[in-house]
Amino acid sequence: MSDAASQVNPHDGACDYCHLPVTAASETDGPLYCCYGCRLAAEITGRGGAEGEARWTLVRLGIAIFLSINVMMFTMALWTQELYDARAVGSGPLAASLADLFRYLCLLLSLPVLWLLGGPLLNGALATRQRDVAAADLLIVVGVAAAYLYSAISVVRGAGHVYFEVGCAVLVMVTIGRWLEATGKLRTTSALDALEKLLPERVRTIDALGQPRDTALGDIAPGDRLRVLAGERIATDGRVEWGRASVSEQLLTGESRPVTKRPGDEVLGGGLNLDGELVVCVSAAAGAGSLARLIELVRTARLTKGRYQRLADRVSGWFLRGVLVVACGTFLFHFWQSGVDTALMAALAVLLIACPCALGLATPMAVWTALGNAARHGVLFRHGEALERLANVRAVRFDKTGTLTTGEPCVENFALADAAERDQVAHRAIRLAGASTHIFSHAIVRHLEPSTAIGNRQDVSDMKAAAGQGIAARFDNESGESRLGSLRWLQSSAMRISPELARTVALARQGGRSLSAIGWGGRVRGVFAFSETLRSEATQALAQCRALGCDAAVLTGDEVARGRLLAEQLGVTVVAGLMPDAKVAALANARRSIGPVAMVGDGVNDAPALAASDVGIALGCGADLSRESALVCLISDDLARVPWAIELARRSVRVIRQNLFWAFGYNALGIALAASGWLNPAWAAAAMVASSLLVVANSLRLQGDARNSLNEPAASADQGEPFAEKVSDAELGEHLLPLGAP
Amino acid sequence: MIELPLVFLGGLLGSAHCVGMCGGFALLIGAPAPRWSSNFARQIVYSGGRIFTYCALGAVVGYGGLRLADGLGEFVNVQAMIAIAAGVLLVVQGLISSGTVGYATRAYRLATAGAGVAVSPPAGSPGVGCLMGGMVGAFLRDRRMSHVFLAGVFTGLLPCGLVYAYVALAASSSDLFGGMATMAAFGTGTMPLMILTGTGSSLLSLAGRRRMLTIAAWCVVLMGVLSIARGAGFLQLSPGAPAASCPLCD
Repeated sequence: MSDAASQVNPHDGACDYCHLPVTAASETDGPLYCCYGCRLAAEITGRGGAEGEARWTLVRLGIAIFLSINVMMFTMALWTQELYDARAVGSGPLAASLADLFRYLCLLLSLPVLWLLGGPLLNGALATRQRDVAAADLLIVVGVAAAYLYSAISVVRGAGHVYFEVGCAVLVMVTIGRWLEATGKLRTTSALDALEKLLPERVRTIDALGQPRDTALGDIAPGDRLRVLAGERIATDGRVEWGRASVSEQLLTGESRPVTKRPGDEVLGGGLNLDGELVVCVSAAAGAGSLARLIELVRTARLTKGRYQRLADRVSGWFLRGVLVVACGTFLFHFWQSGVDTALMAALAVLLIACPCALGLATPMAVWTALGNAARHGVLFRHGEALERLANVRAVRFDKTGTLTTGEPCVENFALADAAERDQVAHRAIRLAGASTHIFSHAIVRHLEPSTAIGNRQDVSDMKAAAGQGIAARFDNESGESRLGSLRWLQSSAMRISPELARTVALARQGGRSLSAIGWGGRVRGVFAFSETLRSEATQALAQCRALGCDAAVLTGDEVARGRLLAEQLGVTVVAGLMPDAKVAALANARRSIGPVAMVGDGVNDAPALAASDVGIALGCGADLSRESALVCLISDDLARVPWAIELARRSVRVIRQNLFWAFGYNALGIALAASGWLNPAWAAAAMVASSLLVVANSLRLQGDARNSLNEPAASADQGEPFAEKVSDAELGEHLLPLGAP
Repeated sequence: MIELPLVFLGGLLGSAHCVGMCGGFALLIGAPAPRWSSNFARQIVYSGGRIFTYCALGAVVGYGGLRLADGLGEFVNVQAMIAIAAGVLLVVQGLISSGTVGYATRAYRLATAGAGVAVSPPAGSPGVGCLMGGMVGAFLRDRRMSHVFLAGVFTGLLPCGLVYAYVALAASSSDLFGGMATMAAFGTGTMPLMILTGTGSSLLSLAGRRRMLTIAAWCVVLMGVLSIARGAGFLQLSPGAPAASCPLCD
C-alpha cells in the first residue's frame, strides 16, 4: 500500500445524507453534510430533522420555481415587444406602459426568488466543507445579486436591460442541480446500504430472568443473549446456547450450502437463520460483528484517495484561482468593449460554467460506485488505489493449493494387496474413516461409499484415534486392531507390506501424492493415494484472464512431473518446484518481462507472494477479513471473481478517465465560450447541471455488470438487484423446497 | 390559429386520457377535504395550477415559434411547418391512444413512465428518482391550498404525450399570447372531467369510459388532421404574413 493511499484523516466523517466520506470534518453537534445539495436533499426528504423544516424547504423551492416561471413569461412578453419594436410594428403608449408594468412585475416576482434560493445557497456555501464548491457557490450568489442590482436600477431608471430571468433561472438551476447531484451520490452508496440494511435495527434479547425484551441493535454487548427466529438475520457474532437451525453464511463465507448450527457452534453476525430457533450468546458488540466489519472495511476503503483523485485535487487547487482571474478579465474586457451589463453577464457565465462540481465528482463517484458494486459481489478492495492498480495488471499468477484446487483431497488410487478382499477392506475403511473428521477420512468415505455394497455389518469396538497418525478399532472381537492411517504408523505395529503395494507406494510418492493405508492381522491390506481436486471454474477463470489480455500462469511448490500434468489439465504455464522465496523471485521476473503482476492465493501459506505482487488477491476471506497481505479480498472461493474484478477495475478506470476528460474538456470549452460573451448565464447554469449529472450517470454505469460480462451465474442473475435481496430469497427459497423436489 | 373553442373541445374530449394518467392525483387532492364543497374548491385550485403550467409552456413555445418565424420567415413558412408537425404529432398521439397504432406504444410508455414511477415512492423517501414526480408527490399530501396549487403546477410538468401534442399545436401559433391561449383552452377543456373524477363522481360506467377514451383519441386525430390542413393552407400564403400584428399594440 502506498503512503498516499493509506492516508486517512482521523477527523474525516461521513455525510449524513449520502454516507460518502467528508474530508477534514470538524467537530459539530448537528448533522454533517458534504455539500449544499445533500443538506437540501436531507431537508426535503425530512432526514435532516424536523418535518416542518422539510416542508418549508420544499415549499420554498416550489414557490421559487412558480415565481421564476412567472418572471420568465413576463420577460418573454418584453422580448416579444422588443421584437415588434425592432420591426417598427407600432409602439403606442399602451405598449410602453405595459412594458414598464412587466418590468416592475419581474422585479417584484424575482426578489423573493433571491431570498428563497439565494439565501440558503449562500448559507450552504458558508457551511460546506468542500472549499472549492463553496467558493464557487459564493461567487455565483454574488454574481446573481449583481445582476439583480443592475436590473433593479434599470427598472427604476426606466431604461436599460433587465436580467431578472437570468438570475431566477441560475438560482433554480443551481439549486435543482445540487439536489440531483446529492440524489446521484446517494445511489452510489446504495449497494453498501443494502448490505447494512440486512442487520435488524431491533433485536430480541433475553434478560437475566429469562424474560424476552426488545432491544436496539446498538445496545447489545458481549454476554447478552439473543433470540433469533427462522427467517431472521443474526445481528452479531456469537455462540449458540440453545436450539438448532440451518444457517446460511453465504454473505460472509461464500459457502452456498446452509450450515447446521447446534449449541456450542459459532455463528457470524449477518448469517441468516433459515428454519429453526436459536438462542445466541453474543461475543462481539453490534459494530464488531462479521458483517459490520465487512461494511466498515469498504467504508475505510472509500476514504483513501487514488492517483486520479489526487490529480483532480491538485488541479482543483489552482482551478478556482484561474477561473477567478478569467472572470475578472472577462468582466474588464466586456466592460471596456460593451458596457457593464454585458460584462456582468459574461463574468457570471464564466463562474457558472467553471463550477468545479464535475471535476470534483469525476473520480470519487466512479470509485465509490465500483467499490460498492464489488462489495455486493463479494469482492473487497482495500482502497480505491487497489482498483486502479488491478486495472493496470498485465499478468496474473495463481497459487495452486487451496486456490486452483479446493484444498479438499480426493482418492486418486485405491490399491489392494489382494483384490479378493476388496469389499472387506472397503467396508472396514468406511467404518474407520466415518469415525474421523480428518480431510483424508472424508475423501475415503466419499470415494468408497458409492461402490461398496453394505453387507453384514461387523461389530466394532475399542474405536480410538491416535493424534496425527490415524484411527484404530477392533472388528468382530478380533484379537488384533484394524488401523487406518499413515503407513509408518501401520508399519510401527509390525504390519508388513506386500511388494506390489510397496511399488504402488513408491510411485505415488514420486508423484508427490499423500498416502493412507489400512491393515490388520499383521498385513497392510490396502493403500489410498490422494490428489487435490481442481476447482470446477479454475480452467474457465484462467481462460478469462487470458481473454482479458493478462498472462496467466500457476506457481506451485509441487514436483515438476506433477506440474507438467497440471499444465496439461489447465492449459497454462505451470512453474513447479518453487519454494516461497522462489515464488517471490518468479513474480519479480514476470513484472520485469510483462508488467504489473497480480498474485491470487488463499492468503495463508502464500502471504509473502501476495505481498510481493503489485496486487495481492486472496480467496475465501469471508471468515478473516484482516488478511493484510492482500489488496483485494474475495469473500468466497469463487475463482471467476478474479477476472470479474479485473474487468470491473478496468471499466472503473475507463469511467474515471472519461469523467476527467469530460470535466476538463467541458470546462475548457465552456470557459472559452463564456468569456467571449456568447453564453447566456442561464444556459451556463443548465450546462453546469447537465455536466454534473453526466458525470454521476456515467459513474453509476459501474453499478451494473459489463455488457460482455463473464459468464458466471451469480453475476448475471442479480444484475441490478441488491445483493441482499438475492441472498435472502435464494437461501430461503432453496431451503423451503420439499426434500426430493426437482 | 385553430379556433380556441375547438381546442377546448379537444381538451374536453381528450381529458379521458388525463383521468387515466392523473386521475389518481385528483383523488389524492380531494382526500383530505372534509366536505364536498371544499373538495370542489381544491379541485379547481389544482386544475388552476395545471393550467398555469400549460399556459407557461404555451408561452415558451409560442415565443419560440415567433423567434423562429422572425429568423427564418424570409426562407420558409415556419408557422405552416410547425402546424404540420404538430398535426402529425397529434395524429400519432391520437392513433396510439385509440389503440390503432401499437408499435409506438412501448416508446410512448417509456417516455411517460417517469411520472408514474416517480410518484410511487412516498414523499420524503430517499433517492426520489424524478424531481417533478417527487415534488408532486410531496405537495399532494398537504392540506393547504398553496400546496394544492403547487401540486397542480408540477403535475403540469410531468411527461404527457397529449400535453406535448397540444404544446406543438401552441407553437404553431407563433405568438406568445396565442400559445398561452391555446394551452389555456386545452387546460380548461380538461377541467370538467378531472374535477368530476377528483370529487369522486363517476358519471360513466367502465364501458362508457372506454367508449369515451376512444372518442377522445379520435378527436385528437381530427385535431391533428385539421392542424395539418391549416399548415397546408398557410403554405399557400406568403412567408412572414402570420406574425404581422402585435397583440400589445392598440
